[in-house]
Amino acid sequence: MFATPAAPARLWLRRHGWTAGVWLLLVVLVAWYATLIPKFGSFQVTSIAKNSLPIVFLSIGQAVVVIGGGIDLGVGGMLIMTNAAAAQLMDGQSLGVVLLIAVGVLAATALLNGLVGWIINVSKVPDIVVTLATGFIYSGFALMILPSPGGGTAGGFRYLFTGSDSGIGTNFWPAVVMVTLPTALVAQWLIRTRTGLSIYATGSDRNASFLSGVRTFRAKVVAYAVGGAFAALAGLATTALTGSGDPRFSIGANAMLNSVAAIVLGGIALTGGIGSVVGAVAAAIILFTLNPILTAIGFDPNTSQVIKGGLIVAVMMVAGLLELRRRRRE
Amino acid sequence: MTAAAAARPESRRVAARFVADHPLLVLGTVLAVLVAITGVVERDYLSFDGLRNTVLFAAPLGIIAAGQTILMLTAGIDLSVAMIATGAAYVAGNQSPNGALVAILLGLTVGLAAGAANGIGVGVFRVNPLIMTLAMSSILVGLFTSWAFTILRGSTAVTDFIRAMGGGAFWDNRIPWSALVWAGVAALVIVGLRATGLGRMLYAIGDNPVAVRLAGVRAWQVLLAAYVLSGLFAALGGILLAGKAGAVDLQLAANFLLPSVAAAVIGGTSIFGGVGTYSGTVFGALILGVLNSLLTFLDAGQAVQQVVYGVIVLGLAWLYSWVTSLEE
Repeated sequence: MFATPAAPARLWLRRHGWTAGVWLLLVVLVAWYATLIPKFGSFQVTSIAKNSLPIVFLSIGQAVVVIGGGIDLGVGGMLIMTNAAAAQLMDGQSLGVVLLIAVGVLAATALLNGLVGWIINVSKVPDIVVTLATGFIYSGFALMILPSPGGGTAGGFRYLFTGSDSGIGTNFWPAVVMVTLPTALVAQWLIRTRTGLSIYATGSDRNASFLSGVRTFRAKVVAYAVGGAFAALAGLATTALTGSGDPRFSIGANAMLNSVAAIVLGGIALTGGIGSVVGAVAAAIILFTLNPILTAIGFDPNTSQVIKGGLIVAVMMVAGLLELRRRRRE
Repeated sequence: MTAAAAARPESRRVAARFVADHPLLVLGTVLAVLVAITGVVERDYLSFDGLRNTVLFAAPLGIIAAGQTILMLTAGIDLSVAMIATGAAYVAGNQSPNGALVAILLGLTVGLAAGAANGIGVGVFRVNPLIMTLAMSSILVGLFTSWAFTILRGSTAVTDFIRAMGGGAFWDNRIPWSALVWAGVAALVIVGLRATGLGRMLYAIGDNPVAVRLAGVRAWQVLLAAYVLSGLFAALGGILLAGKAGAVDLQLAANFLLPSVAAAVIGGTSIFGGVGTYSGTVFGALILGVLNSLLTFLDAGQAVQQVVYGVIVLGLAWLYSWVTSLEE
């Protein structure tokens, strides 16, 4: 069967078909959006790129954790906590200090979420339960750090994520680089390095990996640490986008839902070990882009939310049916 | 010395086995200790008046957690319970001018419909329960936010009957009516899980779905029933909450999602399915109820409450998994 000439192409399609499909869908959606509005230019590209940054970062982090066989329901709490902390600390500081704070926040959250991975390993409590609890703890910390919306950041820091000091503009390069660079780095890290592959192996079959000498304990801790750092990066991006901090619980909960939806739509199996960060990123951008599209068609935000939820379910139903048919045939 | 060294692990093992065999004893002890601590913090707590507030909080939580327990037994989860409860409460509040019966029945319909949709998604189309119920939650938020300004505009206060059911008490204002409702639900669920075919099938599906399918069970029907039940319980819990609050809004049950999962987890139900009881969940809900009272007495702000909640849930889950691992 594998000897037929068509096999490599078919193999590629089977391996990367979903990822390619999601990217194709993104291109189609953006093209459709371009025809829906009177003028589509660099302002719209900038808007899509920068506003999808938080969900993109959150999805990259969630993707790494889920590929490693876990799930992090605490990413939303992490996002609002780092958003609150960054806005509180960065207010009125110079760019140099702000960047130092950003690096400090990333390192601290990586350690903190690595500790969560350690707790999951040692306690043998399911990932869902531990991270639901840590998500609550993080949201509590967010409220302690910043009891009500406020704070600020440096203009240069906003430029880094949005392409302008005021957060509004037509320079899309910084935001596009912020999407592509981390995606490419993490994707390569996952499939090229020993640690990255050990995360895939651990997620695929923990016992088999352990017995073949993979350091599964370490893989899980690293996956959670990277996941936490990316959730923090999402929080920093939110700070840069809005220029302030907002510790509301619902923001975190909503962001968490979107990150899980994005990775599943992006072709990552919740059972672990399957899928790629690249697909998840495309799905994340799609989830954001649906908002302006549905608005352009004339739906109000509430109806848009219903349609988005319905679309997620519909896609998952179709995927479920395809999977069922494939299994019946084999 | 050698004898002592040999005896200690042995006695420890026996103790661990005893604890693992009687999980309700551990939970009861934790509950008693928490009640005692709360009693020390606030003298008035150890009275019908003080304890009543705990039960008024624990009853809706316990009822919502009943659905969660049933689903966790099937290795599923329902992250839409908070929104189903809120939606049901909102409908009940809106329909209150038409009488209590209509209000309650229409409120329960919300749970029925959302639960059935979840069940079809998970049971028939094999959508991951996490995704299905998260998406359902988001759909319900959208629907009810827009309905609040259109077809559900009007009354947001609930009728006296629901108010009495959710917040009132009988026998000289000592025992809340909602405790009675909860007792009914508890009896139904405990007996149902133990003694009915559906109940046993819920455990079986969570334990080994392939074996259940090969044995000829139509798993999708069992899952559909489970999700419908979860929706109905969430709706009932939401209506009780509306009665307790007296009025409804779209944030009514928002804070009940984590506690509903936590109550089941503290009670020893495994999120991987096949293991757990509702009596454990009842204790879990009561423990969280006492904790809620304690934090209120300590005048802790919402931030501290969230942190303490998370830490306690994590700690108890850890303790539980440690105790059960000792047995092996």
